Amino acid sequence: MIQLFNWFRRGALERGLDREIQYHLDRRVADLTAAGIPEPEARRRVAVELGLAQVREEVRDVWLTRWLRDFIYDLRFSARSFLRSPGFTATTLLSLALGIGATTAIYSLVDQVILHALPVHDPARLVLVDWKGDQVVGGFGSWNLMSYPMCRDLQQQTRFFDGVLCRAMTQVNLASGGDPKPVAVEIVSGNYFAVLGVGAALGRIIEEPDDAAPGAGPVVVLSNDFWQSEFGGAADIVGRKLLINQHPMTVVGVAAAGFHGVDVGAVPALWIPASMYAEVYPGSTDVQDILHRPTTWMQILARLRPDQTPARAQAALQPWFKTWLRENMLRPGFPAITADRRRRYLASSLQLTSAPQGHSTLRRSLAQPLWVLLAATSVLLGLACLNVAGLFLARGSARGREIGTRLALGASRGRIGRQLLADSVLFALAGGILGVAVAPLAIRALIAFLPPGEANALRGNLSIHLLAFAFLASLAAGLLSGLAPALHAGGGSLASSLRERGGTGSGGVRLRKLIVTLQVAFSLVLVIGAALFVRTLTGLLAKGPGFETSGILSFAVAPVQTGYSVTDAARLIRRLDEEVRALPIARSSAAARWAFLTGGSWNNEMTIQTDRRIVTGNVHLNAVTPGFFTTLGIRILDGRDFGARDSRPAGKTGFRSAIVNEAFVKRYLAGRNPIGLRIGQGSGPDVKPGTEIIGVCASFNYRGLRDDSEQAFFPMFEGADAGATFYIKVLGAPDQAISSVRRIVRQADPRLPILWFRTLDDQVSRSLTNERLLATLSASFGALALLLSLIGLYGVMSFVVTRRTREIGIRLALGATGASAIRLVLRDAAAMIAGGIAIALPCVAALGKLIRSQLFGVTATDPAIVAAAAAVLAAGALAAAFIPAWRASNVSPTNALRLE
Amino acid sequence: MPSPRFPIPQGTLDMLILQILSLEPAHGYGIAQRLEQISRSVVQVNQGSLYPALHRLEQKRWLRAEWKQSETGREAKFYSLTPAGRRQLAVEKDSWARLSGAVNLIFGTAGEEGSR
Repeated sequence: MIQLFNWFRRGALERGLDREIQYHLDRRVADLTAAGIPEPEARRRVAVELGLAQVREEVRDVWLTRWLRDFIYDLRFSARSFLRSPGFTATTLLSLALGIGATTAIYSLVDQVILHALPVHDPARLVLVDWKGDQVVGGFGSWNLMSYPMCRDLQQQTRFFDGVLCRAMTQVNLASGGDPKPVAVEIVSGNYFAVLGVGAALGRIIEEPDDAAPGAGPVVVLSNDFWQSEFGGAADIVGRKLLINQHPMTVVGVAAAGFHGVDVGAVPALWIPASMYAEVYPGSTDVQDILHRPTTWMQILARLRPDQTPARAQAALQPWFKTWLRENMLRPGFPAITADRRRRYLASSLQLTSAPQGHSTLRRSLAQPLWVLLAATSVLLGLACLNVAGLFLARGSARGREIGTRLALGASRGRIGRQLLADSVLFALAGGILGVAVAPLAIRALIAFLPPGEANALRGNLSIHLLAFAFLASLAAGLLSGLAPALHAGGGSLASSLRERGGTGSGGVRLRKLIVTLQVAFSLVLVIGAALFVRTLTGLLAKGPGFETSGILSFAVAPVQTGYSVTDAARLIRRLDEEVRALPIARSSAAARWAFLTGGSWNNEMTIQTDRRIVTGNVHLNAVTPGFFTTLGIRILDGRDFGARDSRPAGKTGFRSAIVNEAFVKRYLAGRNPIGLRIGQGSGPDVKPGTEIIGVCASFNYRGLRDDSEQAFFPMFEGADAGATFYIKVLGAPDQAISSVRRIVRQADPRLPILWFRTLDDQVSRSLTNERLLATLSASFGALALLLSLIGLYGVMSFVVTRRTREIGIRLALGATGASAIRLVLRDAAAMIAGGIAIALPCVAALGKLIRSQLFGVTATDPAIVAAAAAVLAAGALAAAFIPAWRASNVSPTNALRLE
Repeated sequence: MPSPRFPIPQGTLDMLILQILSLEPAHGYGIAQRLEQISRSVVQVNQGSLYPALHRLEQKRWLRAEWKQSETGREAKFYSLTPAGRRQLAVEKDSWARLSGAVNLIFGTAGEEGSR
């Protein structure tokens, strides 16, 4: 370490040494002259005595150690020689910078979404508590759902946990003076901040008493970012009242900066204690007394005691969990179930998984595409390395004589190899710096692919983490690309390299051909991947969701979040529906309780009453208004659409009629006439199937374009609608309807925010975010890869032609035609291309398994795609090889022979 | 001009420098002269190897160096022993004593055998 430090102050060290030695010389000369020796003789004798140059060198070795000095001199030598050939330097740097920049950008997302630990105290001890088996009790939310009482009971298990928290993400209407607007909130148990070890930047955090009983804590804690963006960082924020879904709550504090909850990809604006669930989820029938009922709606994270491991705690908790399962059945709200179901329920177990990165729905959807992309960029980087290696080899052969001379003068092969390695390391580091410079741009471009809600959790900044990654990637790239040339310089016979004529060294043609073959293989893998993802995207787009999307505008409202009761909300939605329908610009319009293609759904098991009871798996449900199917162009295959008579008469409960989709009939009622059969929600013995099937509609996608599910629809307007999504078929461009819709909503209630305006085309494209990300990026990586390998091929073929100029010239002189010369060169290229394809195909087959879940309507080894990609690659490669081949055919025999 | 003095054994130069500097701080030329005097011109020190040794010892933090006025009035680089250097000197003296003791013993025994 000292040695490195010495490098930077070597000027001062040198000057000191000069003075020191000068002093010695002068004193010695003075002593000698005093003893009677004439001064010139004295000086000569002293110089011999001391060996000036030798002393200086030896002292320098002490300062820097030998290898470090050599290495630094190598680097300087490399830098100087690179500056002399700017074209070579620019090409190489650019390909390395692209490779490193792309890899760093993708890694940044991988790090943020998948690897990065939460900014909380000792995140390594956090575990996610999950249920394995049949939970029986339904709920609402995303994944890993558990009940609030479960969290409370786990908190008693202090043998294993230092704390157990639960939390859920949702959206509320927030008003702080102006118009209410939707914001994301995290609803949390009272110990949430304490367990995570996150403090307050201002005021206090949410504490246990806030969550002691339902309604106990009408308080909120703001996130630091939201405090800054929304309140300008006002110092007097603590104590202010905010309206959350029209309920006043007090700001008690601001959370520590940099803390964004435990869900990467969902950034809460504020935190609310779970005790306020009724205000946060107004009017929903699912939400009744959920602090005591077994309803599942929260994720549970626990902090393990330091002496515990997830596996040990998980095993030790099972007996407790078995007892708990039985107790849970006694809670109010636990449904009646069949004996078979009960057996499955009791066989459930508890699972603890280490969760230093928290719980994330974004990670769930994005993890696989990101790994795929990281793998693709790594291949791309490998390709860039190969390119650089090829270029170095070419350069090495041009320097063959220089190297041969140095070897002859006594330089060791190791020393020469190290020089070449220094070249490539210097290069890779410079490329890395360039790559890091472009990486933030690339990261932002990547984030722009994601829908805004998810994207705002991600940052385009460089972190130490990222810089370290880029440095390691560059170093690896440097070593990788320098290894082949260095080894090559180390081998080979000295005599032959000196005997060769200038500029025509053997240049490791075999090695370079191998490199090009590998490049062809790498780029074919990437090109096939790109083709697969593009096919998936276009396939999904061409297939569509099964309903009409063009010319349809959708918007959503949630009146209960603005203080409406469900009855009033239903009345308002009905009024909006009628007014929107009456708009001149609307050809037709309809409303649904849940939005389509958002990834979420309302679902439940169903019981069908035929001659026996059939219990289904999860069926996706929705409530829609009459005319819904016509508006979206979904065919009614059998029976009829909903009409006015399907609305429930006053005083009765339960849906009167239902429409099921084709998939439902196919799976559960094959061969039967579904019309007139009765179904009911739920699977228990107490379910009374009272809803009549009145129609069958064509199957279409509910949650996303890949989803093929059984569905059932009920009529809307039965007095219990918390919110609705409207679908308007517009005459002309959908955007034109926005202002009229706004006016209608404002007239109905000026305080009611519209949650979103979206054309259905837009909704479709949003639901294809991952597919688009994969298709676009893999296509650009594929194109880059193709370009890199074509450059490589072109380079090596040009080199081969130059080397064989004499041979070709002789052949031509002896009567060979130009065409045969072209064939000669192309045969060489074709061998490399064929070799590359032969290497790539098994790799594609193996990698295909890993990306199967990302594909749609196509398999990784789809013969048409593989053949097309191989054909594109082969055509491009032959074209690249044709240029040097053409040159070869134009060799003039006389010139070629004179070249000697 | 072949010297009648024998060259200094490998590795003992460091010890001699430490020993000289344990008496008082000195500059390079001073140390060279002192080496000559102390060894009574029996041991030949290659002056060229003195400076690398000094710098090596300084880097090991056994010596500390500072520029001071010398006896002639010019600035010279004076070396002095650090506490670590003092400890090192003790260690080297001890191991030297043991080594030479051992060698003497071997030579002594061998000599007796030879005389028998």
